[in-house]
Amino acid sequence: MTKEELLSKLKTIIEPYVQNEDGLANLSEETNFIEDLEINSANLVDVILDVEDEFNIEIDNDGMDKMLTVKASIEVIQDKLAAK
Amino acid sequence: MIGNDIVDLALAAKQSNWRRKGWLQKIFTVSEQDKILNALDPDLTVWKLWSMKEAAYKAYQRQFFKAPTYNPWDFECSETSVIVKGMQYKTKTTITSEYIHSVAFIDQKEIVTKVFVNESLSYKKHLLDYISKTKLLNSEKITIKKNDFRIPFVYINNLQSDIQVSFSSHGLFSSYVVDLSENLQRV
Repeated sequence: MTKEELLSKLKTIIEPYVQNEDGLANLSEETNFIEDLEINSANLVDVILDVEDEFNIEIDNDGMDKMLTVKASIEVIQDKLAAK
Repeated sequence: MIGNDIVDLALAAKQSNWRRKGWLQKIFTVSEQDKILNALDPDLTVWKLWSMKEAAYKAYQRQFFKAPTYNPWDFECSETSVIVKGMQYKTKTTITSEYIHSVAFIDQKEIVTKVFVNESLSYKKHLLDYISKTKLLNSEKITIKKNDFRIPFVYINNLQSDIQVSFSSHGLFSSYVVDLSENLQRV
């Protein structure tokens, strides 16, 4: 899976939880879920569960710890996919 | 060291389905999960423990200048305290039919906390006014800036002060906690 495909899937996953639509329109690797997209911190768990379902991976505590930005999330997903 | 967190219960019920498979396990320790599932009011218990963790996270992040992380399971709640990596924070939680508000702290000095309804755009200004009145300072000289880790600091005459603050906002409700006990000698 290319990074672009991964980013596009991630965007679809986070969309329902985004409270700042401008942030979504300007989505980049540097986008921070809480600061830029105003995703409620309790909904980050839903993002992580949705990512697990979509990519059929399991995200452990070490991975979850980092998943506050698009960049970190892509790295975690790529790592888990590579380890499958 | 202080932190606080507020949960709008009606909004939380709308935003989060904590009964979703895997949800509790990603946030709560095994004993916390037991506590929730055996509680008379599991919904209230979920958000009570969540707000305690969030409040303690903010106090911990401030104390050690930690970059933001997402590790709620590291914050273990007991009745009125939260332990994270060997550090203990006391907590005080207020529960109403509409919101849950938790404050975390190490030592209680001059901690003042306030909850607002429908003031998400102005509650920070209220805090500035409060500091200005209490410290007999012109409110125009007081500003709040977040550092790179998004931890808020109070500046007086553009100099960082020792006054500790924490903000929280969710749905209809906003809250702050401030510790004015630190001295202002540096400014």
